[in-house]
Amino acid sequence: MVAKYVMLADTTRCINCKACEVACRAEWDTPLGYSRDWVKEVESVNAKGMPELQIFPGRCQHCDDAPCVEVCPTGASWKREDGIVLVDHDICSGCELCVPACPYDARWLNPVTNTISKCTFCQPRIDKGLQPACVETCVGNALIFGDANDPNSEVSILLKTKEWQRLITDEVNIGPNHYYYTAGKTIPVEVMPKLHERHLAGKSIESIVNPLGTIGIGGMMAVFLGAGVKKLVDRRKEVSEKEDNHEHH
Amino acid sequence: MHESKPSDITSRRGFLKGVLGTTALSASGLAANAQARIKAPHELETLKDYEEHWGFCDMCYWRCGLKVRSRDGKAFKIDGNPEHPLNRGVVCAKGNSGIQVAFAPNRLKQPQERVGARGDNKWRPMPWDEALDKVAHELNKVKEKYGPQALVMIGHGTWEKPYHRLAHAYGTPNTTSPVFGLCCGPRGVANMLVAGRELGGNETLDLENCKYFLMMGRNVTESLHNGETLGWIDGVANGAKVTYVDPRFTITASKSDEWLAIRPLTDHAFLLAMIHVVIKEGLYDKAFVSEYVSGLDDLTARVEKYTPEWQAPITGIPAESVRRIAREMSERAPSVLVYSPRRLTRSANDLGTGMSIAILNSLFGVWDRSGGIYNPQNFKIPEISLPEFPHAHVARSEASGDFDFSQSPFASDAEGKIHRADGAGVPGRWPLANAQYGLTNEMWRAMAEQDPYPLKALLTAGGNGFSNSSDYDTIRKALLNMDFYVAADVMPNEMNSYADILLPEASYLERYDDLQTGGMLEGFVALREPAMQPLHDTKGSWDICKDLSKRMGLEAWFPHDSVADMLDDRLKKAGLSLAELKQKGIIKTAADPKLNFPREHGLKSIFPTPSGKIELIPSQLKTLGMENAIEWEEQPRPKDGEFHFTFGRIGFHTHARTQDNIWLSGFMPENLLWLHPEAATKLGIVNGDMVMVHDRKGRGGKIKVKVTNRIRPDTVFTVHGFGHWDKRMTTAAGKGLSDSLLASDTREKHIGSISMGTSMVTISKA
Repeated sequence: MVAKYVMLADTTRCINCKACEVACRAEWDTPLGYSRDWVKEVESVNAKGMPELQIFPGRCQHCDDAPCVEVCPTGASWKREDGIVLVDHDICSGCELCVPACPYDARWLNPVTNTISKCTFCQPRIDKGLQPACVETCVGNALIFGDANDPNSEVSILLKTKEWQRLITDEVNIGPNHYYYTAGKTIPVEVMPKLHERHLAGKSIESIVNPLGTIGIGGMMAVFLGAGVKKLVDRRKEVSEKEDNHEHH
Repeated sequence: MHESKPSDITSRRGFLKGVLGTTALSASGLAANAQARIKAPHELETLKDYEEHWGFCDMCYWRCGLKVRSRDGKAFKIDGNPEHPLNRGVVCAKGNSGIQVAFAPNRLKQPQERVGARGDNKWRPMPWDEALDKVAHELNKVKEKYGPQALVMIGHGTWEKPYHRLAHAYGTPNTTSPVFGLCCGPRGVANMLVAGRELGGNETLDLENCKYFLMMGRNVTESLHNGETLGWIDGVANGAKVTYVDPRFTITASKSDEWLAIRPLTDHAFLLAMIHVVIKEGLYDKAFVSEYVSGLDDLTARVEKYTPEWQAPITGIPAESVRRIAREMSERAPSVLVYSPRRLTRSANDLGTGMSIAILNSLFGVWDRSGGIYNPQNFKIPEISLPEFPHAHVARSEASGDFDFSQSPFASDAEGKIHRADGAGVPGRWPLANAQYGLTNEMWRAMAEQDPYPLKALLTAGGNGFSNSSDYDTIRKALLNMDFYVAADVMPNEMNSYADILLPEASYLERYDDLQTGGMLEGFVALREPAMQPLHDTKGSWDICKDLSKRMGLEAWFPHDSVADMLDDRLKKAGLSLAELKQKGIIKTAADPKLNFPREHGLKSIFPTPSGKIELIPSQLKTLGMENAIEWEEQPRPKDGEFHFTFGRIGFHTHARTQDNIWLSGFMPENLLWLHPEAATKLGIVNGDMVMVHDRKGRGGKIKVKVTNRIRPDTVFTVHGFGHWDKRMTTAAGKGLSDSLLASDTREKHIGSISMGTSMVTISKA
């Protein structure tokens, strides 16, 4: 059976030490100011007036119904059979339409490659039988990665033996494959996914392409598609030129 | 990795703007070959090849085992060595950021000579030969004029060892490391006095099997050492109850069952009341106490007055909580730990606090028991054969290489040679202080005051006197008193900006170093080998010291041609070899339950005190007339409008040495002053306000406030290590406020170690 990769985060074991973030940065040479993964810390006061702290490590949730794949005009954003959402950098035009499409804010335009960067569950590592870099380095062993379709895997056993939650709301329910254990505590709203008003370069796309609000959704999609296609043509030309020059990698 | 030429980026960027400004194209514009490409199988990124090299970490003082990955001759990723008992394969953010020590833009890249005033940061690059000639000449000049004891050597890092050796060969007893006097000293002394044993540099605690942690301000998740932190998390996951005692609600507190927001400086009172309850209610391990413990009657009489009700107004902890915790621990004993802070340098009587912890652990019978304190394995690797050092009593431990209180806990001057200037181990001065590591705080004072004798040359290997919580004026005066100061370091900092000659060290990824030996449940010897060639005109400390030794007539103490030869020589003495160590980066002796936990196996514990028993009232203190150290003493309290000033760690920084690391600096650009909402309201301060904070001496500065109920209303807190002002540290300079400027630098009265926790501050809106 084909694998279905999932990430488990036991938040009771996470100490917000940032090891996962730095390990990821080193592994994938992420430019400063950007990160493929993160740790969010939420402070609150409980009913007794005592402080509480919840910590959530996060990254691309590799959703079953990934909107980033749907909106991608070039087909660069894709989902592998094992569930991993990837970006084909040879095709990606860097149009950034997928960035606001992600309700988990897992995508960003890499200023070095000018293509979209995101967590790949360390696909090149797991294809060699290694663990993702964040999992391997995790000080509290809070991150557990594996194949949920293998009934004997650690993740399968853990999924059965503990109460796991996912970052799902009434508004955003797209089948994330990242699970969280909180020992029964409610996940705070600060960590939950949010639908974005679609924007690009700080401006609302709607206000640029549809300033009067008259085109309608179908027309807007055509505009998005057109933008992506034009960029794709350009990107294809670049790729072809590279291939001609035997520089393809 | 994907590469893109800058011209590509520019053209595509420009195009993006163009698209948005024009009307959309239709899908028919798509070229046929591109459509085919979309449907074609996607390109998958593949993992590029790399080499692996063994190492152990230099980012903090725990020293986890590493595998360093290199590609094209450059280290790019640091992984944990899964075989290493200090980290079991995991690496923290600091450890991962070691790459940015090697590649740091602000590194010291070639030898330099000071050309401006001390601290002005005006430098002239110079060749190594010239720099080393000058250092040898100036050090020998000081020796001729004042004698060898006029040299002070201060080291802070795994690579300080050859500088200690060079200084000892030179003939000075004045070598020191902050680990004792500025950090763990009182804890080690307390355990040695009571039990003749201590917890080592790496916490010989059976964390996974412990059933109750009473955390005495031990912020184990943020003052983070991988193996210890992971062991504690495992222990909690295995069901241990945790009571966390600290004025501040840390991440560790958030993982605990209960937070006791104790008044600063009063842990001792709480612990005395715990002892009171444990004895009064007969909650101690009676079989263990009758066989192994002396002094119970004396202690019982002394703690009679320290009732839970007595401590309540002092600590702010209800009497009933003390009774309940004592009973809860007793039910789970001996798998319980009164968990000591590592840095126990807070008050004038840290010895009393440390002894109270050692006594409680002993009453619960935790020594050599599952879930308690275990007896470590050791890996003995003999030192290389060397001539006698001119100064008789400076001997490093052969067992662990460092931090071994048992080597010379009460160093004397039987040879009639010159005493240490800091008084560590000196009769009549600080006899309880460790003479191997010394009292760094007292050494700075001796240099500043030129007392008890002239100290005229300084050699530093890492460290930063300004940011380790000694008084700035003392440090500055000491540095200005030197005829000659040579600093060896990887990175610039405020202290080495005062040097006459700067010697740039190779980073720990670019060199061999001496062996790491140690003992946990397993004993081990581990290797550090270069993961790449030096990026700059730098040298490793052994090579620097060997080159200096030749110029100073001390080459007999550096007999090997290379560090690798020295390692092989040492290993061969233990029946091993460098080739063998290179296979896994570590060689271990297996855990041995009978040795680690003898009393779980019907065997006896050993307590190497003078009486061979655990001494609740230590005989060595009686000899010194200090047996009253166990008694409570009133501690300073804030006046109206004042706050206790506290500081501490965060998981992604080590002391004051990582704030300039570009992979870490983004997590916390500046430190904040934690202030309770009640106190903030009273002062009219809101979250994010800038405030002025000053101590009673008028020292202080500006800092941004974090209003939070994670701190007591009478206490403020900030993260240690910020407020750098050396402009060579381009990332860290000018960010936040230095806690070292505000922390106290008074003395622990029995040991001579520093007391950093007695400072009171006032706050006003800036």
